Amino acid sequence: MDNILWILFQALVFPGALFLILLAFFYDWFDRKIVARMQNRVGPLVAGRIGILQPFYDFVKLVAKEDITPAAAVRPLFTTMPVMAVAIAVFSILFVPMLSHEALLHFEGDMVLVMTLNTFFSIIVFMAGWAAMGRFGSVGAERAATQLMGYEIPEFISAFSVCLLAGSLSITAVNNAQAQVGIPFILLQPLGFVVFLVSLQAELEKVPFDIPEAKTEIVGGWLAEYSGKKLAFFKLAEELRVVFGAALMATLFFGGNHGPLLPPIAWFLIKTTIAVFIISTFRAVAARFRIDQVLKGGWKWLTPLALLQVLITYLVFLVVG
Amino acid sequence: MSAHNIFDLIVGPQHPMLKEPERFVFKVEGEYVVDVEPRIGYAHRGIEKAAENRTFLQILPLVERVCGICSNSHTLCYTLALDELLDLEVPPRAQYIRTLVAELERIHSHMLCLGVMGHEMGFDSLFMYMWRDREIVMDLLELISGNRVNYAMNIPGGVRRDLNSETMDKIRKGLEILEKRNKYYKKVFSEDPTVLKRCADVGVLKESVAKSLNAVGPTARASNYKTDVRKDDPYVAYDEMDFQMIVYDTCDVYARNLVRVDEIIEAINICKQVLDKLPQGDYKVKVPPFPKPPEKEVISRVEALRGELIYYVKADGKSIKPYRVKIRTPTLLNIMPFCEMVKGNYIADIPVVLESIDPCFCCEDRLAFVDVRTGKRWVWSLEQIRYLAEKGRLERG
Repeated sequence: MDNILWILFQALVFPGALFLILLAFFYDWFDRKIVARMQNRVGPLVAGRIGILQPFYDFVKLVAKEDITPAAAVRPLFTTMPVMAVAIAVFSILFVPMLSHEALLHFEGDMVLVMTLNTFFSIIVFMAGWAAMGRFGSVGAERAATQLMGYEIPEFISAFSVCLLAGSLSITAVNNAQAQVGIPFILLQPLGFVVFLVSLQAELEKVPFDIPEAKTEIVGGWLAEYSGKKLAFFKLAEELRVVFGAALMATLFFGGNHGPLLPPIAWFLIKTTIAVFIISTFRAVAARFRIDQVLKGGWKWLTPLALLQVLITYLVFLVVG
Repeated sequence: MSAHNIFDLIVGPQHPMLKEPERFVFKVEGEYVVDVEPRIGYAHRGIEKAAENRTFLQILPLVERVCGICSNSHTLCYTLALDELLDLEVPPRAQYIRTLVAELERIHSHMLCLGVMGHEMGFDSLFMYMWRDREIVMDLLELISGNRVNYAMNIPGGVRRDLNSETMDKIRKGLEILEKRNKYYKKVFSEDPTVLKRCADVGVLKESVAKSLNAVGPTARASNYKTDVRKDDPYVAYDEMDFQMIVYDTCDVYARNLVRVDEIIEAINICKQVLDKLPQGDYKVKVPPFPKPPEKEVISRVEALRGELIYYVKADGKSIKPYRVKIRTPTLLNIMPFCEMVKGNYIADIPVVLESIDPCFCCEDRLAFVDVRTGKRWVWSLEQIRYLAEKGRLERG
């Protein structure tokens, strides 16, 4: 009984849903602050100490706002998608080891499940945009689905080539393999890391890949028709996805939550913060691509590079044994 | 291309891409723009009619508010018309100061446009940096005129304020920084890979099309169409300045960006020349508060920031109010070229292409007698402007 309670506590409070949501708010603030400094601005400043409560305030404000469902929208989809988005985002992070060297949920092959959930999120985005039945929503949904074609395959390959190194398809195993080998996989697979970083950026819909939202072009794209609580949930889901992306990057490439002296959760936080910093930097230094350019780049560069990384890894294995 | 695949993407009158209200119906097939229908007139404020009920000098603050960005161009154009109407001998010092303010305004407007261009292509860092550096020129203008936006510098017969040597030193210092920064931005616009990806070969306007649709300003010059009122018909002190007309021949958004950056650098040169050559003497001549010009009609034109700006002023010789003031702003002429540019591009390119003409709809929307939708081409002859003026007068009673 105690065991079940402990698992429930872990899933819902720490390091589960509640903690992750707080972390999502924190990283959103961190991202905004970093980008603001890079752009010569101050960023959030007023809410809380140096604006640290700003994302939370934004969330509360959005929740309190009027919630409009367009008359033409497909109601069941329109209302369920925001909740689904948050649920999937939280669920997929639970496969990443945080508190201990073992993830809360783990089994041999959970990488496949996490990557599938990942794709599922893009499908949710597509459905959300489609269900809204607006012009901009449709274009945004179409773009989200098209972009998926560009980044999904290289991301899968680069993530699985890390699994090849660890000899297991489990994220927990990859996490611990790096401690055994003694060096983080980013040093063994720099090419794979670059591919993963770029496709992660595309997956998180951050500049230069914020094409499905593209505020100046299609007014928020798939998010255009959402307001109030639903918009708040989508925003939260997006922030959670940043946590997920950073956690995955830290676990697969930065040596996971292993490290000297500090407990695993501290290393997890440090490494994910570095990952968020990289993602934010990326966001500040580039202009938005066009959807055709993303597809072209994805198939012309990312996929071959990811395959090349797999090939190199395989050859090294053959030689070294 | 089957007809049922084409749907209307309605942009405006309210849209984040548009800083001012205007409506465009884009016929879209997938991600491609097939056709576009502009609808102008959302910001019509009746300024021309209002001008008929004011005295000649009261119109100055009115035309200054035609547009927030090119406020100086409007007053300059109107004062040039008044100078001619009242037959005033403007002292050379005043002409030089007018040139200085006009060129500083060009710097600020082009930096604004390029910054917004960065924003439209999703490059917010560029936008922030550009606008941060734009503050320098805004401060200089405030130093000269006392105002950041509506400078109110031009008055008939001269300028409102003189320059002293302390101010001139500060301007020189500011110009140094601006020159350094803008040389850097030129590098960004011509070399940054993501910027090039969004700008090169996008929104192409061929030279022949630009000429036939009568494009003006940087839009025309980026299409290798050599037109610049400062060179063609020098006003104020431009005939004494040594400067280049910037022309590019790649005809795309990339060229229009570079024309603007180069014009900023050229404007900095002109400003420096003005400061070096500034003649001594009066900076204005006295004008009666209620001037009553003889019966006469005047057309004045200046190279505003977006292209050629024309003012037509008619006095009937009996009144202290003008019989008619007619304004034709550059954006109106650039709308049709925009429609040509955007065809065949992606939806994603619309904001970038639109920003590349630096639209200012508030400027344009005082015009009552132009049907852009027909796409009819015409030449603005004196007779036609007179005819339109008469007709408007009659129709509105």
